[in-house]
Amino acid sequence: MKIPGEVKISDNGFVFNSNSGDSFALNPFGLELIRKLKEGKDFDELKPEILEKYDVDDLTFEKDFYEFYALLKHHQLIIQENQLDFK
Amino acid sequence: MEKIKYEKPVITKITAGIPNKFGLPAKQKIVSQIDGIAVDKLMDEYGSPVFVISEKTIRETYREARRAFETRYPKVQFAWSYKTNYLDAVCSIFHDEGSWAEVVSGFEFEKALSLGVKGTQILFNGPEKSEADLTLAINHNACIHIDHFDELYLLIETTRKIGKKARVAIRINMDTGIYPMWDRFGFNYENGEAWNAINRIMLAENLDLIGLHTHIGTYIMSTSAYAVAASKLSNLYMATHRKFNHWLKYIDLGGGFASKNTLKGAYMPGSETCPSFDEYAEAISNAIISSEIPHENLPVLFLETGRALIDDAGYLLTTVLANKRSVAGRRTMVIDAGVNLLFTSFWYNLGVYPTKEVAEYLEDTTIYGPLCMNIDVVRDAINFPHVKTGDRLVIERVGAYNMTQWMQFITFRPNVVLIDMEKKTHIIRKKEELGSIQNFEVNPKR
Repeated sequence: MKIPGEVKISDNGFVFNSNSGDSFALNPFGLELIRKLKEGKDFDELKPEILEKYDVDDLTFEKDFYEFYALLKHHQLIIQENQLDFK
Repeated sequence: MEKIKYEKPVITKITAGIPNKFGLPAKQKIVSQIDGIAVDKLMDEYGSPVFVISEKTIRETYREARRAFETRYPKVQFAWSYKTNYLDAVCSIFHDEGSWAEVVSGFEFEKALSLGVKGTQILFNGPEKSEADLTLAINHNACIHIDHFDELYLLIETTRKIGKKARVAIRINMDTGIYPMWDRFGFNYENGEAWNAINRIMLAENLDLIGLHTHIGTYIMSTSAYAVAASKLSNLYMATHRKFNHWLKYIDLGGGFASKNTLKGAYMPGSETCPSFDEYAEAISNAIISSEIPHENLPVLFLETGRALIDDAGYLLTTVLANKRSVAGRRTMVIDAGVNLLFTSFWYNLGVYPTKEVAEYLEDTTIYGPLCMNIDVVRDAINFPHVKTGDRLVIERVGAYNMTQWMQFITFRPNVVLIDMEKKTHIIRKKEELGSIQNFEVNPKR
């Protein structure tokens, strides 16, 4: 998984993809997650960090994470190099 | 260390388009209680989904409508439109407030009688009246509103058979300047059909013509249409007097006042655009009072308002079953109440609200009901906050037509609960169970 260089993310959650010309808005937690993904962290690494920091249970976070991840893929903001890699 | 409040991660595509002139509401409305009773308490006790009806709202709305008309016109009588909501408890509240009954079938007629309504205080409308229905109505001295000539002749025949007189009015359709013009019910005004019917009735020995009735349409947002209707009925009222030296007793303007629900395709919310009772009353009263009817012979004004009197009093409490994403990335949500319970969701963009504070972030969402049917869409598009599975929602303004046009389809119909004036709750219609359905079935032995 990687976020292409053409995808620019501002500090206030504005995302611009110069490949497609599309722009997006992230909420604060969406911004935090995409940054961590950009650092190369995957779900297994993120999970304990998030559960420690936020008032959320593991199943809710897992569900929300994969929905968010699917949307990033849908909007072509991340590229999954190995299609068989679920994470 | 205290943990930070969690909010679901969200990304939204920014699309350029014509901005909404009026903008979005600054804050998501929350409905956490009804008449001072917590929604959670109602749902814990009566299940989900559950219809809730507020007696307080019914009475307040009724009194507001009555005040609007009675302060402008000397003789006003409301008749509760049974088909809008014929639960016994609901009808009883309207009758307690002084409403007569307006029924459109033998079934509704019997229901009104069973609730103690006097036959003389029942207006019997509709195109479907069998000989047995007419006999029942004549025997109870009800006001029979004749819909067509075949019914008129059946009525004449029935009065002869049982040797009794019938009190009648005719239903009249007319051009009031609105589209669509309803012409399927009653006799037409413009082509003289209504006048012919009046003449025929006045010559019939067993029929006592006492009123004129019209019902120009439904969800009528133009008060001037009612003024036109009232003027045309006033003209016939006077013509009947001139020719037959007979004063009719009433003019019935029917129903059709818009509720505050928002019609699909409407640009502005119904709560902003629908006329108030005062505006309807002003148009109708002025038209009759300024007609050539002498003031000492003014007819009683009947109103069969249904939707506008009950819609606001009904709520449907429901639970989120699932959040999903469509192939196109669109947010969709499944709730446990669908079009089987919400017939009016085919016409209205019903208001759906969370019951507790939620994330401020809103996303365009499609809300589906629980039925395994593609048509089960409660809202095609609504800007809605992110809610979780198990969260509870309130759907407002569902008091009219849903509890009469609902379907027993795929699942059971739920409890209907009334909150009375003392804030006590009562089940007024029990949730169905397997036996409620199978009791009517016969499975032939093989």
